[in-house]
Amino acid sequence: MGCGSSTPGRDSRQFGRDNSENGGGQDAKNLRVKLVLLGDSGVGKSCIVLRFVRGQFDPTSKVTVGASFLSQTIALQDSTTVKFEIWDTAGQERYAALAPLYYRGAAVAVVVYDITSPESFSKAQYWVKELQKHGSPEIVLALVGNKADLHEKREVAVQDGIDYAEKNGMFFIETSAKTADNINELFEEIAKRLPRPSAS
Amino acid sequence: MSEITSPSPELPSNSSSASSDHDPDPPIQLQLPPLSIHDDPLPPPTSHPGKRNADEDDASISWRKRKKHFFVLSHSGKPIYSRYGDEHKLAGFSATLQAIISFVENGGDRVKLVRAGNHQVVFLVKGPIYLVCISCTEEPYESLRGQLELIYGQVIVILTKSINKCFERNSKFDMTPLLGGTDTVFSSLIHSFNWNPATFLHAYTCLPLTYAARQAAGAILQDVVDSGVLFAILMCRHKVINLVGAQKATLHPDDLLLLVNFIMSTESFRTSESFSPVCLPRYNPLAFLYAYIHYFDDDTYLMLLTTRSDAFYHLKDCRIHIETVLLKSNVLSEVQRSLLDGGMRVEDLPPLPSRSGSSSHLGHPGPPTDSPYRSREPSSGTGGAAGLWHFIYRSIFLDQYVSSDFSSPVNTPKQQKRLYRAYQKLFSSMHDKGIGPNKTQFRRDENYAMLCWVTQDFELYTAFDPLADKALAIKTCNRVCQWVKDVENEIFLLGASPFSW
Ligand SMILES: Nc1nc2c(ncn2[C@@H]2O[C@H](COP(=O)(O)OP(=O)(O)O)[C@@H](O)[C@H]2O)c(=O)[nH]1
Ligand SMILES: [Mg+2]
Repeated sequence: MGCGSSTPGRDSRQFGRDNSENGGGQDAKNLRVKLVLLGDSGVGKSCIVLRFVRGQFDPTSKVTVGASFLSQTIALQDSTTVKFEIWDTAGQERYAALAPLYYRGAAVAVVVYDITSPESFSKAQYWVKELQKHGSPEIVLALVGNKADLHEKREVAVQDGIDYAEKNGMFFIETSAKTADNINELFEEIAKRLPRPSAS
Repeated sequence: MSEITSPSPELPSNSSSASSDHDPDPPIQLQLPPLSIHDDPLPPPTSHPGKRNADEDDASISWRKRKKHFFVLSHSGKPIYSRYGDEHKLAGFSATLQAIISFVENGGDRVKLVRAGNHQVVFLVKGPIYLVCISCTEEPYESLRGQLELIYGQVIVILTKSINKCFERNSKFDMTPLLGGTDTVFSSLIHSFNWNPATFLHAYTCLPLTYAARQAAGAILQDVVDSGVLFAILMCRHKVINLVGAQKATLHPDDLLLLVNFIMSTESFRTSESFSPVCLPRYNPLAFLYAYIHYFDDDTYLMLLTTRSDAFYHLKDCRIHIETVLLKSNVLSEVQRSLLDGGMRVEDLPPLPSRSGSSSHLGHPGPPTDSPYRSREPSSGTGGAAGLWHFIYRSIFLDQYVSSDFSSPVNTPKQQKRLYRAYQKLFSSMHDKGIGPNKTQFRRDENYAMLCWVTQDFELYTAFDPLADKALAIKTCNRVCQWVKDVENEIFLLGASPFSW
């Protein structure tokens, strides 16, 4: 079982397959976390996931419907592995009421906006509030300003992102799914911030 | 399955003319001056689905030249969807349509059809949602209305009928944001009106497959359904490999059509396994079901439907189980082979006394020398026996149809579309009056000779060379029916059908 067929063409960073043959239970060395991506439609959530999971960027826009499920495992320096089970949500208005379906029980929520779109930044703030109200209390929150490669069209200042994230106890990073800038760093940082089950 | 008994079947009175169809409940007809939409001798481009020409508006000439328009608007005149161009720029036009609708509604009845010059304007009112088709394609009213019904159904698939509540709260409610990202779903549905007979037959079709392979797929789907899944459906493109429903759960062929269109036209489902709310309008228009969708390869995909929103991981496990079994039993490779082999070809129609002991198979005979009959038949050089070009056979009990593969001379999309239009016409003329247990119709025009035969068990629609001999055509129809019966194990999903009969 596992992520095999959902992640063909995995890139070379990929270690092993599903590390949870031990019955799926958490152990200190092999974490398994549910991660949900939220944010306005078109900010690049799907591209971020596909860059992370498959090492690809496809500029032709493919609107997500419902939510896509992908997984990817990374190895950290301390030789622990983290398997991310990722929900890439649609972000369309009709599914707003259904979002809890995907973020319920998530250990990590990545809220994405597009640095060229102030509206998407406001939408990101809406999602942060929603998660603070209804997400699990220990949820790790990340705020991501994507499309950093489009700096000449930037309309959301880096400092605005930093400030908002800080106020809300979130991790903040700017990424580009197009150039792959900071994509791995995003997930590695998240992995480091995960609460570890006490070693037994 | 019976045969046409000789002497030749009784012919209906309108047999020789492609006469206009009569509606048992004649739609209200208004005579309006011709709309300022001009005829275009060329059909609109249909090559790629997706919203085209988003910069068109109702003043642009290209927009007005289209042969067929579809609009969806709200009762307050707000555009919801339009086939060509941007809904918002068409606001003025929508308001005009809405004014016409209000006018006739106030007159006590609902507008169904307006004729304006050589255009037909067909209306369908669904609560606060109005659907309109403007067409100069000469498709029958019933066909166009059926197409509007499907478009409405597609809206329900995406949003459920509870959308009506939004209009109750605010009659000026703007629905377009809720349909965000679904343009390709609608354009692909509208495109399918040109090529997919399921859109007017209200039946589904199966991928030809050995009985054993279909059974193997059915058995594993049944297991999964027994574990608490509502519907388990294995598809290859638009064709069913097998499908199983929970006890008492019935799946209407139109629901399947709309579901498949929704899945196939949404690119993101191909990228990775997905979980999405969907509504099946005939099953329950008010509630979402949850669909797990996974592609095994470019063509073959699985849909597992459940009422439980938290069932994803269970459905994922089910899929892994199904995949293992399908690989082990080679079903997926048989599916690929079937795609390569194709389906029934009119050239392969066996001679009538096919009592050769073992039942015939779909398997395609080798060179034409295999069939002594074929060379004897008077044929116009293309197609099958007696000038048979194409057929569609619909089993009424199974809610399934099979159609022959297209072959020369019906081998361009344009010719295929013309043939489907002719079938559509035939279909609605056979269905608009009370049909007796047996009914046949023979029409001949410059494009085809068409023979249609409707019984309690099946409907057969055939297209022949326009010069085909009528008596031979009737004989050939008997051969087609016999052939279908001989290979029914491979072309139909037999046995417990979750469809409502
Ligand atoms: N320049 C640039 N374009 C991007 C980037 N990420 C995504 N896009 C584009 O943004 C559009 C929407 O991306 P998508 O991943 O579908 O957005 P989603 O709706 O949030 O999933 C696509 O056309 C992408 O090509 C990026 O980092 N840089
Ligand atoms: Mg997306």
